[in-house]
Amino acid sequence: MRFLRIILGLKEWSNRKQTMQQGAQAPSGQDFLAPDLQTNEQVLRSQYANCADVVFRDIAIAGSTKALLLYIEGLSNTVEIDQSVLAMLMEKGLVSSDVKTLLQQKVAVSNIKEVTTFTETIQHVSVGNPILLIDGQNRGLALGLSKWEKRSIEEPTAEAVIRGPREGFTESIGVNTSLLRRKIRSPKLKMQSMTVGTYTQTRIMIAYIEGLADDTVLQEVMNRLERIDIDGVLESGYIEEMIEDYPFSPFPQILNTERPDVAASGLLEGRVVILVDGTPFALVAPVTLYSMLQSAEDYYQRFLIGSTIRWLRYLFFLIALLMPSIYVAILTFHQEMIPTTLLLSIAKSREEIPFPALVEAILMEVSFEALREAGVRLPKQVGAAVSIVGALVIGEAATSAGLVSAPMVMVVALTGIASFTIPRYATGIAIRMIRFPVMFLAGTLGLLGIMLGLIVIIIHLCTIRSFGVPYLSPMGPMKARDMKDVLLRAPWWSLNTRPHLIGDNNPYRQSRGNKPDSNKGSE
Amino acid sequence: MIEKGKISALQMAMLTNPTILATAILSAPAITAKLAEHDMWLSPVWASLAGIAAVYLAWGLNKLYPAESIIDISVRIAGRAAGKLLGFVYLFFYLHVNGIIVREYGEFVVGSFLTKTPLGIVIASIVAVSAFAVYGGVEVLGRCAQIMVPVVVLLFIVIIILLFPDLNPENMLPFMEKGIKSSFMGALVPQGWFSEYFVMTFLLPLVADRAKAPKWGVISAMSVMFILVIGNITTLMLFGDITGTLTYPVLIAARYISLADFFEHVESIVMAIWVTGMFIKISVFYYILALGTAQWLKLSDFRPLVLPLGLCLASFGVWAAPNSEKLLHDLGTTIPFYLSAVQVVIPLLLLLIALLKQKLRRQNGG
Repeated sequence: MRFLRIILGLKEWSNRKQTMQQGAQAPSGQDFLAPDLQTNEQVLRSQYANCADVVFRDIAIAGSTKALLLYIEGLSNTVEIDQSVLAMLMEKGLVSSDVKTLLQQKVAVSNIKEVTTFTETIQHVSVGNPILLIDGQNRGLALGLSKWEKRSIEEPTAEAVIRGPREGFTESIGVNTSLLRRKIRSPKLKMQSMTVGTYTQTRIMIAYIEGLADDTVLQEVMNRLERIDIDGVLESGYIEEMIEDYPFSPFPQILNTERPDVAASGLLEGRVVILVDGTPFALVAPVTLYSMLQSAEDYYQRFLIGSTIRWLRYLFFLIALLMPSIYVAILTFHQEMIPTTLLLSIAKSREEIPFPALVEAILMEVSFEALREAGVRLPKQVGAAVSIVGALVIGEAATSAGLVSAPMVMVVALTGIASFTIPRYATGIAIRMIRFPVMFLAGTLGLLGIMLGLIVIIIHLCTIRSFGVPYLSPMGPMKARDMKDVLLRAPWWSLNTRPHLIGDNNPYRQSRGNKPDSNKGSE
Repeated sequence: MIEKGKISALQMAMLTNPTILATAILSAPAITAKLAEHDMWLSPVWASLAGIAAVYLAWGLNKLYPAESIIDISVRIAGRAAGKLLGFVYLFFYLHVNGIIVREYGEFVVGSFLTKTPLGIVIASIVAVSAFAVYGGVEVLGRCAQIMVPVVVLLFIVIIILLFPDLNPENMLPFMEKGIKSSFMGALVPQGWFSEYFVMTFLLPLVADRAKAPKWGVISAMSVMFILVIGNITTLMLFGDITGTLTYPVLIAARYISLADFFEHVESIVMAIWVTGMFIKISVFYYILALGTAQWLKLSDFRPLVLPLGLCLASFGVWAAPNSEKLLHDLGTTIPFYLSAVQVVIPLLLLLIALLKQKLRRQNGG
């Protein structure tokens, strides 16, 4: 127990806080900028000692007033600095009147912010805003001229659609917020900024629509984010694990998406979106199990197609979870359920198999998982080839060698395909994980074991919540109104209300009577 | 309050429905058939009166003391010493009854499906699963019921529909051969199950929309009655006079299903459905046992009791009867009266005393 606690880091470290904060940020002593340029420069130079990428540029405004320009190479737009700042300020004939009016008239930069402390200065420098410090002034100017190399907007690879927008989030948070803003133009779309990570100083944006998002949920998200005390955040997964409700549950309680349209639809339903700088994966909360089983495309195709595909997905969700277990249980305990001819052919193929069905199933499932994982990790060029060849060789050779029966290969293949129909990777993984204990139950107690396993899963799903919203709502607790988006994908003209418990602030999406009718308006 | 969760009246109805139905559907047709013969389908109608009585007894007591269950109510009405003793009787009763239920489950599974699996394993596994649900509290139970019960009822109806080709309506005749008395006699056993609606006394204080509670309680009892009637009619039409000689007629009925030479021998599916209902039944009794014990001992939380009571429950399951014959014999003879004595007669007396006290107090005061 103690060992476990140490591994999970639950054991209290007495000196943890000290070691964490050591030298992370903020110079000690006086944090405010001094009126004297020399002191300021000294402090900043000592902060950025041994940082070869930081540029200190001494300039003289209008040939007399001394000033210092500070920026990090590669993070700032040097062309702009040269043209709109340096060239302007160093102009020969400049009358050196009041510095403030000078800056107002001469610096051709739209986004300028005043900084008064060293902490602020360093923050601005580290995101790429050049800092201009002027002698005799106890404040500096942060010029909004950051610019760095970034990936262009591409099609999201993890969530492909046939019909729907092709743009995906990128690693740059500025681009991501603009993608959201381009979808939801109303000023009601709010974005609150936050910085997490003592060393990485990662920017986080909490986006929500005012009047739609539940205030308590929003407050809870904020509180949990503020509680995070970590040295660095490199992916939104860090944040996800820090703020989820049930950390030991196999089911993800926060949705991650690469698609701005998915994030925007979440916002419109009253959910909160968390964007993290440095990753294209945005977090959406609160969510339910059903949102994990929905694809963006369900809403873009016509509703009959959407509903059918949704039903297919539910079916394959169950197959992914239960298929090998049911096969094992029926072969081991309930042979009478198989029609005689089928039973005979299965028996024939299993004649030479030395293992019981359970061992056979686990053998195949594990090797399938290995192939899948290898296929993901391998470089693109070899990945597909290896996984196909691997599957063929293992499947074919294992059958002809008499290690596994052909029906089992089929069952495992079908299960694998089924697990890929789940649009959310994390949910698919959860299902694959749970499959193994259910298989053991099936091998020991037959269908009864599967039932007990299913009941335990349902109990667990009934227990967990995502930011206060029950994970299985609107099924348990039942809300008949919301079934329109769970049991089927109701046509857009009848999706009149937002989900209960999430969009209760403003439950109506649209007016009724949107149903198209060729006679409408002709009278 | 020991339980902080709340359920809706609908969830309460969905919790109590399988609490009665799960055991009743299995052996009710056979037991009623022995006494009521061709009128067995009428018996659940009479028996459901006991259920409605239990609902209103629980509701009547709850109206007097809205935040309390029978454990505290009995102290209020009968005084401290007698009330605590009565509370203990109830707790022991629910432990014992739940032990019997667990044993019924075990006997059915071991007798019909897993013939080589030890009874202890079967009992322990369902108690462990129920413990997991009970640990989650009433909200989790309510949600589980809401998800499982519609599926269970739907599948049950599908199975009945699949049996249609084999049904022979003539088996129902002659109607009222021996007058109305025989169907009354057939109701004597099921009324014991229906009296289990008194478990609502523990659930009512947790219901958020209280005003709807009695309505949903009655709807729940009616739905149980309806399903039992359908089950009885189906088995009667299928087996005719031999229904009374079968142990689990519904299970055997499932063997008649044959669809396109592929969908055959679905007893295992029937068992799977039934296990779901049984899980809710055992969990509800288990939950009220844990909650009631915490109320009786005036603890602040019932969760620490879940595991020890689970051990007791599994042991009581093993001790409930020496063998399945004795268990079935008891179920058809003494147990129904045991059930209704504790769950209808005692509450009725308590309610009368309470109302009398209230009246006296009003006379003295006014």
